[in-house]
Amino acid sequence: MLKTFIIGFKDLKLAFRDRAALILMLAAPFLVTVGMGLVTGRFSGTDQSGALNIPVVVVNLDNDAIGNALVEVFNSSELADLLEPTASSDAEAARRQVDEDQIVAAIIIPAGFTQSVIPTNGVASSPIQIEFYANPSRPTSAGIIKTILDGFLARIDEMQIGGLTSITQLIASGKISPQEANQAGAEMGKRFEAGGTTYAETAAIKINSSTTATETNDFDPLAFFAPSMALMFLMYTVSYGGRSILAEETQGTLPRLLATPTTSVQILGGKIFGIFLTGLAQMLILIGASSLFFQLKWGDALGVVLLVCAAVFGATGWGLLITALARTPAQVGSVGTAVMLIFAVLGGSFFQLSNMPPIMQAFSKITPNAWALDGFSTLALGGKLAAIAPPITALLTMGLILFLISAALFGKKNLAQK
Amino acid sequence: MHKIFAIAWKDALIRFSSKAELIFFIILPIVFIFIIAGGVPTGHEDNRIRIVVVDQAGTTLSAEILSALENSPSVRPDLLTLEAAQTEFDARSATALLIIPADLDVASIQNGTAELELRQPPNDVNASVASRAIDAAVRKVSAALSAANLAVNEAKARGAFKSAEEEQAYFNAALETAKRLQAEAPERLTVIEGNTPDDFDYDPHVNVSAGQLITWVFIPLFGISALFAYERTQGTLRRLLTTPTSKATFLLGTISGQVTVALIQMTLLVIFARLAFSLNWGNPLGLYIVLTCGCLAAAAIGTAMGTFIKSEGQANGLSILAGMLMGMLGGCWYPLELFPKFMQTVARLFPTTWAMQGLLDLSLRGANVTQILPEAGALLIFAVIFFGIGALRFRYE
Repeated sequence: MLKTFIIGFKDLKLAFRDRAALILMLAAPFLVTVGMGLVTGRFSGTDQSGALNIPVVVVNLDNDAIGNALVEVFNSSELADLLEPTASSDAEAARRQVDEDQIVAAIIIPAGFTQSVIPTNGVASSPIQIEFYANPSRPTSAGIIKTILDGFLARIDEMQIGGLTSITQLIASGKISPQEANQAGAEMGKRFEAGGTTYAETAAIKINSSTTATETNDFDPLAFFAPSMALMFLMYTVSYGGRSILAEETQGTLPRLLATPTTSVQILGGKIFGIFLTGLAQMLILIGASSLFFQLKWGDALGVVLLVCAAVFGATGWGLLITALARTPAQVGSVGTAVMLIFAVLGGSFFQLSNMPPIMQAFSKITPNAWALDGFSTLALGGKLAAIAPPITALLTMGLILFLISAALFGKKNLAQK
Repeated sequence: MHKIFAIAWKDALIRFSSKAELIFFIILPIVFIFIIAGGVPTGHEDNRIRIVVVDQAGTTLSAEILSALENSPSVRPDLLTLEAAQTEFDARSATALLIIPADLDVASIQNGTAELELRQPPNDVNASVASRAIDAAVRKVSAALSAANLAVNEAKARGAFKSAEEEQAYFNAALETAKRLQAEAPERLTVIEGNTPDDFDYDPHVNVSAGQLITWVFIPLFGISALFAYERTQGTLRRLLTTPTSKATFLLGTISGQVTVALIQMTLLVIFARLAFSLNWGNPLGLYIVLTCGCLAAAAIGTAMGTFIKSEGQANGLSILAGMLMGMLGGCWYPLELFPKFMQTVARLFPTTWAMQGLLDLSLRGANVTQILPEAGALLIFAVIFFGIGALRFRYE
């Protein structure tokens, strides 16, 4: 066992002394992550999601109850994370801002809107419409604002229809006379105001919201890209380690090792342990560096460590398989780099897997990248250990199966046999 | 001339001595173009927030709620079984999970027990939007029922009903009135689309094909540095000193060989994109001007790198790293228009940006030869600067 450890630690030392290897093991994932941070605006504070702080201008020409209520809704604390509302009295200027792509939408509440909804002295003015002047180049954000407007207007309609229905039925049933309608309507309004009924309480169908009982972190694009890049270059590291197994043979150091009282199982075990240790060290250094330099929150510490171990185990399995199938160290290098790149794109390191066709999403399951990335995303969003059990299990199973196949192939090749 | 050809041929033989080179030369670029072109959004997708809905009621009322959600401008409902919906929600494939329980009907609304269950992640902006969209849809559907309930309560405030039947009859009549009033309710919102110019030209096949073509050709051209390191470590550069071969002849031979190979690689990728996606690359002369200038710029950078780097291993690693970074920052992976403003300016420092702009001008904007001359000129400036550095620093030992 001691010999296995010694061989493993020796390979770990060799890997971290190889400057060429360090470029792709550490510099590349770190710098590409920095690049991703730059292009996504992570370091400049620019939000790229299109859903936060949506700039919108509200022009309240109504200046009456409903117009003012709508302005209040858009300025409410509940919507503070979503909207960046600005008040204006110039409808034309607001439209121009949309045309110049400065804002997502202008909401123009025309004069007399409240009067068109609430009858005065039993007479409602002709219908007037709120104008929603939307930016066509930002349809998602515009859709969010329209949803908020729809919700507000649905409530207005609900109240108006409720009031009119009540009065109509009271008259129809003879409980009040038509002359008493105005007074009854006013009483209803007062009762409603005095009752202090909340918006949610007025709903005929209540919506019971529940959230997963975990604390959560805000979404950070680097929380996706940092593990993506680390996992991508982890595949380089495991093929680099695999290359060293064949290099020992071609350089003649393997026969020398076999001449010592060391079994082939100990040697191969040590080499595999070395690959695992190198991958583990690489991942932990990258996680540490991104936490230190970018204040990146990776989530539950124990979960992160276990997931890293599982991801490195799964990736080591692939490194061994590539080594077992290759004839020369150069072949391991070429195929390893190709697999690294294919797994990165297939595993969702560059583009969200949900955008991929279903067949690609199915193929992604063979990559340690996809499983590990799923686990890291869960942890970064506040998930606990139990939530990452499926990816950990998948990665361990993947590693075990690949290890068994590789062992069989190594046996066939008679590698490390005395 | 003969010497230049001989050096170029020798480099090509070294490069393709391993069959594995074909993986990087043509197979991987094609695989990447194919996968990524199928994976990036086309801009025509339904971008509404996806929610999963479980309809355990199966009533007209639940169908109306689903229909209202379908018409929402911000959420896209997918009707699933509870198990499938929970799996999708747990896998974060859906922003929220809405359950319409089996007991949701008019009677439950009448007696005030009508409830829907909404499961959502905490502190999630999309979930907040989904929640509002669901609320708006449900209120729209239940407005008449809500009004009928209110009417019954108002009537009760003026005296109790004599019997449950009377109360029910009153509710039914109020519901009819409310439905009529709802149908007659005027539209309170007018939606006008602004005249915002959409200057973001984007076609996933064009952007991905051009971006991958540049990335996969620039990386091996940066790899010229590895060729220099290889020759240096093998001692073959020193041997050249004993022959009547000038520094210029050697550099010209090495660079022209790699640029020719790169142009062949680009031609193959251009043909692939043409056949696979019927992609129109635009003016052929303009295309080859941009491709050639891009190759020269990348080869020049590879040459300059080769005078700084000591080992072949380091050169290979740095070529991949530089190619990936320049590709990403130059808009080859993600459209430049999505970058923050200052990064769009910084991107002009990379030849990949100019090559990408040239290709997009030709294929997306139908530019002619004259119109791509600024990009070609910028690429040639990169070539001159870096060839200059390379030639000045080049040593045989």
